[in-house]
Amino acid sequence: MSLYILPKERLPGFVDNLRAGFRVVGPVRTETGFAFDTIHSADELALDYPTTILPPKKYLLPQRETLFTFHTGTSEQGARQIDVQPAFEDVQPTVILGVHTCDMHGIMLYDKVFTEGYRDEHYIARREQTYIVGIECLRPCDEASFCKDMGTLTAPPVYDLHMTAVDGMYLIDTGTEKGERLLLSNVEVHLATTEDIRRLSQTLSAKWPHFRHRLKMTKDQIPSLMTINYGSNIWDTLGERCLACGSCTNVCPTCFCFDVQDEMDLNMSEGQRSRIWDSCQLHEFALVAGGHNFRGSKASRVRHRMMRKGKYIQQVHSLTGCTGCGRCQRACLVDITIPGTLNALYDEMQIDLNPATGA
Amino acid sequence: MPPKPKIAFFDFTSCEGCQLTVVDALQTHLGLLDLVEIVQFREAMSERGEDYQIAFIEGSCTRESDEARLRAIRAQAAVVIALGACAHLGGVNSMKNRWPIENVQTYVYGKHGRERYESYPARPISAVIEVDYAIPGCPIDRLEFIRFVQKLLQGRKPKLPDYPLCVECKLAENACLNKLGQPCLGPVTLAGCDAVCPSYGDGCEACRGFAPEANFAHMREILQGHGLSEVEIDAQFTMFNAYQLKAMGANAPLSTGAGNGSRRRTADAEKLPSSTFAAPKET
Repeated sequence: MSLYILPKERLPGFVDNLRAGFRVVGPVRTETGFAFDTIHSADELALDYPTTILPPKKYLLPQRETLFTFHTGTSEQGARQIDVQPAFEDVQPTVILGVHTCDMHGIMLYDKVFTEGYRDEHYIARREQTYIVGIECLRPCDEASFCKDMGTLTAPPVYDLHMTAVDGMYLIDTGTEKGERLLLSNVEVHLATTEDIRRLSQTLSAKWPHFRHRLKMTKDQIPSLMTINYGSNIWDTLGERCLACGSCTNVCPTCFCFDVQDEMDLNMSEGQRSRIWDSCQLHEFALVAGGHNFRGSKASRVRHRMMRKGKYIQQVHSLTGCTGCGRCQRACLVDITIPGTLNALYDEMQIDLNPATGA
Repeated sequence: MPPKPKIAFFDFTSCEGCQLTVVDALQTHLGLLDLVEIVQFREAMSERGEDYQIAFIEGSCTRESDEARLRAIRAQAAVVIALGACAHLGGVNSMKNRWPIENVQTYVYGKHGRERYESYPARPISAVIEVDYAIPGCPIDRLEFIRFVQKLLQGRKPKLPDYPLCVECKLAENACLNKLGQPCLGPVTLAGCDAVCPSYGDGCEACRGFAPEANFAHMREILQGHGLSEVEIDAQFTMFNAYQLKAMGANAPLSTGAGNGSRRRTADAEKLPSSTFAAPKET
């Protein structure tokens, strides 16, 4: 694909042109931080945002969404009839601007989860009309992020366009043909020169030292670390602290579990089936008919989340289950963190494996 | 068409705000009146039918003479629903349970209060009669009320969230008040209100009751981190849930014990400032 130059002063014009044909969403300043929201004018866009509470996943899998409506009635022969009408809420041409590289890794996982095997038509309908415009992270969001450890500091092949701020311009990489068309038809850009590409490489190399490692092990060691520690005591310690509030999973860019509910309208003959984000950290998640709960203790649920992030997702989808975005750490009120947990497990292993202690 | 189920509303010790919310809900969801027949609703109509099948009861039980009326409602109704925090939990009325009832009567009604006004510790109606369901909240959420009635009429078990409020705050993408240094009981409180208070910047006060897995020890630590004293944390915990906490006995997550509130106040009852609601000074 090609590399284009967009002078920064042309960004507002680009956004305005996009707004004519798309819902444009991007990071905006809120009272207390930043959030992805619809952009009404380019000056709302805060592309240098550190992070948001919810990742942009909410535009691909909304917190609540109606899947279909139904109408119950009686046929002429007297048989009970149910007509089902698929619903597609919030499906509209959308450009998500300013997606961090970690969140792009999250979207790449979503694409796999919702399109391979069972094809989720609601997700696909929304995804097909969505353009992802990434922004290169040149400094860490804050102390909570550990993207460098998780290998999510570079953009995965999920973007339509990817922007890197270099001096007074954005260098824009086109990831897809439709992304290139989107760029060329909405703003005047020119192809990057060899000198521009040299400056881009310089910027990209210069950013790495700003990001620190937080994990004591490499990313590749995490799945086996999780396997070995399935029976660790750490889960009881964490379970005792856990508030079972589900904040960690709701803010996670790789969590995708949902609950499905039916609701009737007041006329008692029509209704809708909807889905809402669910969380494996909540008591009811693994409760089944008959009253048995497969993960009744908080300890078993905390472990399950860590296993999902560190091992299961990687095993099933061959993609990282944790993007190192740090959102769960920022959301947790009792300081349960992925790096803290993994490092504690790793430390225990070091002691066990040390021949001097006779293990 | 089968006959419409007959429903009735009753009130005990409460502000009647939940019944007002029902009136409000009926204005926006008139269709509900096609599905049920309201035969008694003092807040909204003069008729008083006694042949109801479904009874909604607002308010807590705070005096002995309430009990017979509650039992009569239970004897008539096939389904009894506690409407709102007072009926469901005891609610704000149960704050008084932390002090000896004699002191409370004197404090509220003046020195002859004990002779003139009957009162005993506030209890949820489930402490007196069997209750089938509760619609929590202070006041109730009107959409939840509508959904509840719909489910009931479909013959399905109305289901309320059993997880903490934080879930709804995250879905709304609210900034966490506890993270911002503002006390919020969301982590230990049942969801279902769509996090209405935190969404407007007010910390949760647990009017829907505590979540089954409420982690009180760590909730206290979080509140201590905001600079709240032990007595202030106890006050937060007991605003709506004094009855539940007292029922926990020695296990209650309170620093001062569930029963004795502030010792100073109990000892110096006579020196208390007169309450806004106190009877005029008797001479």
